[in-house]
Amino acid sequence: MTRYPINFVVSFAQIFVIVFMMIIAMSLFFGEGSGGMSGGFGGIIMFGFILFMFLSDTLWTIGYNIRWEQVQGTLESLYLSPASKFASLVSRVSISLVWTGLNCVAALIFVSYVAGELPYNNLGLAFYILVFSLSGTFGMGFAFAAFTMVARESANLAANALQFVFMGLCAMFFPFSVLPDTVLWVSRLIPLSYCVDAFRSTLMGYPEGYPELLPIGTELVIVTMFGLAMPVVGYGLYKIAEKRVRIKGTLGEY
Amino acid sequence: MMLSVFSLKMSAEAVKSVFLCRLRIVSRYRGWFLFDMLVPTVIAAIPILLGRAISGENAAARFLENTGTANYVAYMVIGANVFMIVSNSLWIFGFWLRNEMQTGTLESLYLSPVTKLTLLAGIALYTAFRSLIAFGVAFTGGCLIFGVNPFQGDVILAVFFLLIGLIPIYGISFFYGALIIRFKEANSLINLAQWAVAAAMGIYYPVTVLPRVLQYLCMLFPPTWVNQDIRASLLGLSYFFGEWYYDLAVLWAFCIVAPLLGYYVFLANEKRIKKNEGVGRF
Repeated sequence: MTRYPINFVVSFAQIFVIVFMMIIAMSLFFGEGSGGMSGGFGGIIMFGFILFMFLSDTLWTIGYNIRWEQVQGTLESLYLSPASKFASLVSRVSISLVWTGLNCVAALIFVSYVAGELPYNNLGLAFYILVFSLSGTFGMGFAFAAFTMVARESANLAANALQFVFMGLCAMFFPFSVLPDTVLWVSRLIPLSYCVDAFRSTLMGYPEGYPELLPIGTELVIVTMFGLAMPVVGYGLYKIAEKRVRIKGTLGEY
Repeated sequence: MMLSVFSLKMSAEAVKSVFLCRLRIVSRYRGWFLFDMLVPTVIAAIPILLGRAISGENAAARFLENTGTANYVAYMVIGANVFMIVSNSLWIFGFWLRNEMQTGTLESLYLSPVTKLTLLAGIALYTAFRSLIAFGVAFTGGCLIFGVNPFQGDVILAVFFLLIGLIPIYGISFFYGALIIRFKEANSLINLAQWAVAAAMGIYYPVTVLPRVLQYLCMLFPPTWVNQDIRASLLGLSYFFGEWYYDLAVLWAFCIVAPLLGYYVFLANEKRIKKNEGVGRF
């Protein structure tokens, strides 16, 4: 990261630009009685945005980095080193955790400064939901790394496509209530949707109609199971993919 | 002698070869085409759904008060699709240059007897081809999904604005290529550039809602004009200068200035890099 300082600066700047655009876009729909950014919609967007940032970063840092190691020809060398493969995956996640976390804090401060205070209720429970949501998201990253090994060049496309698909299906920037029924039906099948719903509802202090998908108790169970099971499932898939490419001799092939 | 003298016909063949080469490569990854067509719809969906969540049935009326059109769905779909064209031009051009650097083929390309302009023209042609197909399908698809008539307003004028607008957009790509050669961090530059582009061209809003200084800065950026003029011709909004032909004159001016300036900056940076570490280093 320190060798590419522009990367460092850009990741902050990018967030400010995105948030700025969203605030302006929303302002075009505000009128009497809609409450403005501090009237609930700021929370819906920003708390969903935090989970989106982690998801997007996880797909890119874990999945795409594997691909990059393949292209550079260093993936096979890494496999020849005595280091744990799991540690290699987790180390990529830790960068995401620290750096994206800082970006999110900066974005929240920026929004609070520009558009008014956001609601911060039930911080302890929200932190619990965030931790398990991130754990599950990182598990998705492991699964995506497995896919990258098999899909190779198509991994770029998949990372790009998946972040947009999850953004829409998990209603990260808007309430679930505005999704069409058929889309909402698919959303309900994705555990990350419950993470988004539970996280923002908890921070917003459960206003009327929130959480939207299920009662908070049930959502907490789903979030916890997602956080515990997904890393195991993801790493299992990674091991299967790894074994497959090693048998085929395509680990470093791109 | 034959290697150093290039006729116009030979240059045209070289442009065609670069175009076909890129087309063959992308034909191996057809998912990218699908992606180009789906993403604008998702990008447009975010403010549309947000608008409905904020204002419910009053969304159209409130949007009308703030922008001059009640058709916020078409407004967002147009913005997202024009943005995709600009974003594609940056992505494809930037990554082409960066990939050539990293795979070690950029220096080989420089040793070939064609001019750089020929290579860049081939890439620009390929990008235009891919973007226009994606634009056509994504715009029509987006309109159908959100229940908007894609053939409202002055469609021919809108297409004309789009085609003319492509020239300065690819001029900006040259300028952008210079940045990639200079800073070598294509990913981060593209990421920032595409969001900065979205903000500057008013993907979700008219730039007139921005503070005065930002408005002037945005108007120095050709995609802002393309976006506003396509919206104006399709949705009956006002043009920046009142009449469509004044705006078109500005776009023509951009057609001359942007490619020349972009190419000049590209060459200047390239010369500087060649004197120092060389173009192949990353």
